[in-house]
Amino acid sequence: MLSEERRVESAALSGRASGRLTNPDVRDEFGLETLDMNMGPQHPAMHGLLRLILELDGETVVRCDPVMGYLHRCQEKIAENRMYPAVVPLTDRLDYFANMHMEHGYCLAVEDMLDAEIPPRADAIRVLMSELMRLASHIPSIGFLMLELGAFTPILYSFRERERIQTIFEAVTGARMMFHYIRIGGVKADLPEDIPQRIWEYIEGLESRFQEDFVNLISGNEIFIARTRGVGKMTQEQAVEMGVTGPALRCTGVDFDIRRDYPYSWYPNVEFDVITDTEGDVAASYRVRIAECLQSIRIIKQVLENLPEGEVMADLGRRIRPAEGEGFGRVESPRGEYAVHVVSDGSDTPYRVHYRDPSFCNMQLLQEIVPGHYLPDIMPIMGLVDPVSGGWDK
Amino acid sequence: MAVTLPEGDLNSRLERYLDGFRNRHGLDDSGVEGNVVRLVVTPGVLPAVLATARERLGILHLAFITVVDREGSFELTYELLDFRGVRVRVKTTIEGEEPVIDSVTKIYPTANWHEREAYDMFGVAFKGHPDLRRTYMWQDHFDHHPLLKSFDISTKRTFENLR
Repeated sequence: MLSEERRVESAALSGRASGRLTNPDVRDEFGLETLDMNMGPQHPAMHGLLRLILELDGETVVRCDPVMGYLHRCQEKIAENRMYPAVVPLTDRLDYFANMHMEHGYCLAVEDMLDAEIPPRADAIRVLMSELMRLASHIPSIGFLMLELGAFTPILYSFRERERIQTIFEAVTGARMMFHYIRIGGVKADLPEDIPQRIWEYIEGLESRFQEDFVNLISGNEIFIARTRGVGKMTQEQAVEMGVTGPALRCTGVDFDIRRDYPYSWYPNVEFDVITDTEGDVAASYRVRIAECLQSIRIIKQVLENLPEGEVMADLGRRIRPAEGEGFGRVESPRGEYAVHVVSDGSDTPYRVHYRDPSFCNMQLLQEIVPGHYLPDIMPIMGLVDPVSGGWDK
Repeated sequence: MAVTLPEGDLNSRLERYLDGFRNRHGLDDSGVEGNVVRLVVTPGVLPAVLATARERLGILHLAFITVVDREGSFELTYELLDFRGVRVRVKTTIEGEEPVIDSVTKIYPTANWHEREAYDMFGVAFKGHPDLRRTYMWQDHFDHHPLLKSFDISTKRTFENLR
C-alpha cells in the first residue's frame, strides 16, 4: 500500500492508456490515435463551470484533466481586506449548496482564536441549521445524479423538499440562500416561536414520504442500476491517497466523519451513526447519501427535543480583534471535510484566510478514476464526487 | 485491500506520534497541545518528517497546506489527520523572496493539487512535483501571484481611523 507501488505519475496526469493504444503493433498497423475533447466549461449537465480536457480512444476516456478557475473570485484575498465579521457573508458564496457549513467553519476558526465561549443554545441552533442544510444538499444531489442519467422526476421531488427547507430558512434567517445567520460568537437571532414546531412537522412528513419518493423510486430502477453499479469504482487506498472525504470516502468503507472523530459544536450531545458502504462506486455513494439523510433527520429530532434555553450570542465586544496567532475550524460539510485556517496579526482584518474546500480536494479523484470509463459514465461519476462550482473555485 | 485506521485511545496515540517524530528527527521544540501534535521543522527535513508520519506512524490524511506570506519569508503549515481525533501540524519557514521546497506528492499524492494551488497563489516552487501548473489563474500571459502581499488590489481598505 505504501510508497514502492505508488505511481505518482498516474496521479498527476493519468496516462492509463487503453490496451489498443499501448500495444505498438496494433496502434501502428491501424494508425490509431487519441482524440482530444473538451467537456465544458459550458456544458448543460456539468456541475457549474468546470472544463474537463479528455483524451478519448473511441469512446473510452484515456486521460481526464479538470481545468478550474472559471468562477474564481480570490475570496482569500478579499477576506484579507475585510474586518473579521464582514468575511462571514463572503463564505456563504463558497459552497452555495451548503452555506451554513461554510459560515460555521469560518466562525469556529475565529472563535478558536478568541477562545470564545459560545452559548449552548447557539451551538444547538447551529447544529439544527447545519443538518437541515445537509438535507437540503444531499437530496438535490441525488436528484442531480438522476437528472444526469435521464430521469426527470427525482429532481422535481428533491427540489420540492429543498424549497420547503428554504422556506424554513427564510423564516429563521430572512434569506433563502445567502443566510449570514451564523455569526462570530453565536447566531444572528433566536428561532421564531413557531419554528421548532414547523421543523418538527416538516421532518416527520419528510421521514414518512422519504422511502416512497426517493428510495423506492430510484433504488430498484433498472437503468439506474445499469448506469451506476461498478461505475467509478475505487479502492479504499485510492480514496485515501487522493485525500477524498465525505460520502465519497465513506462509500468505500472508511468510516471517517468529522462530526464524530473531530467533534465540534453540539455534536457530542447527539447520537448518530456514521454510514459506510463497501462497494466504492456511484451506487454506493447514492446509498450513503440516502442513509445520511435519515441520520440527519435523527439528529434534528434529538436537537429539537433537548433545545437548551438561554442566550444565542456571546458578548465579544464591538470590535473583534484577536491577538496575534492562528485559529482552525473544521466541519463536516455535505461534500466532506471543510477546514478554515485564519492567521491574525493583531489587527482588525485577518492576515491570511485559507479555505480547504471538499469540492476542490475531491475533484482530484476525477484524474484517477475517470480513465478507463466510457464518456457517458463521466456524468454519474460527477454525481459521486458531487462538486460545487463555488467551492472548488473559492 | 483495506486501509487500517489507528487504534488505541487519544492520549496514547498522541504520545506515540510525538515519540515517533522525536526519535527519528530530534525536533526538541515540538509538543502536544490538546489533540494537536505541533512540529516546527526546517524546509530540508520536511519531506522526511512527513514520510515518517505516513509510513511509520500511519497518519493517512493530508488535510491542507497553508502558505502565509510574511514579507521576506514564507510560512508553510501542513495539517495531517489520523482520522481518529489527532491532528499533526507541521510548520516550516522558507526564507527569501523566491521560495523553493521539496514536493511531498510522493508521500501524500493528495498534495498534488494543494501544491499547485500554493504555486499559483504564492509562487512557491515545489521541487519534484510531477505537474506544477496553475490551478485557477491563466496559464499564459499572467506573471503574478495574487495572494502575495505585494500584489495590490484596487479596493484596498484601511480601518485605521475607525473606532
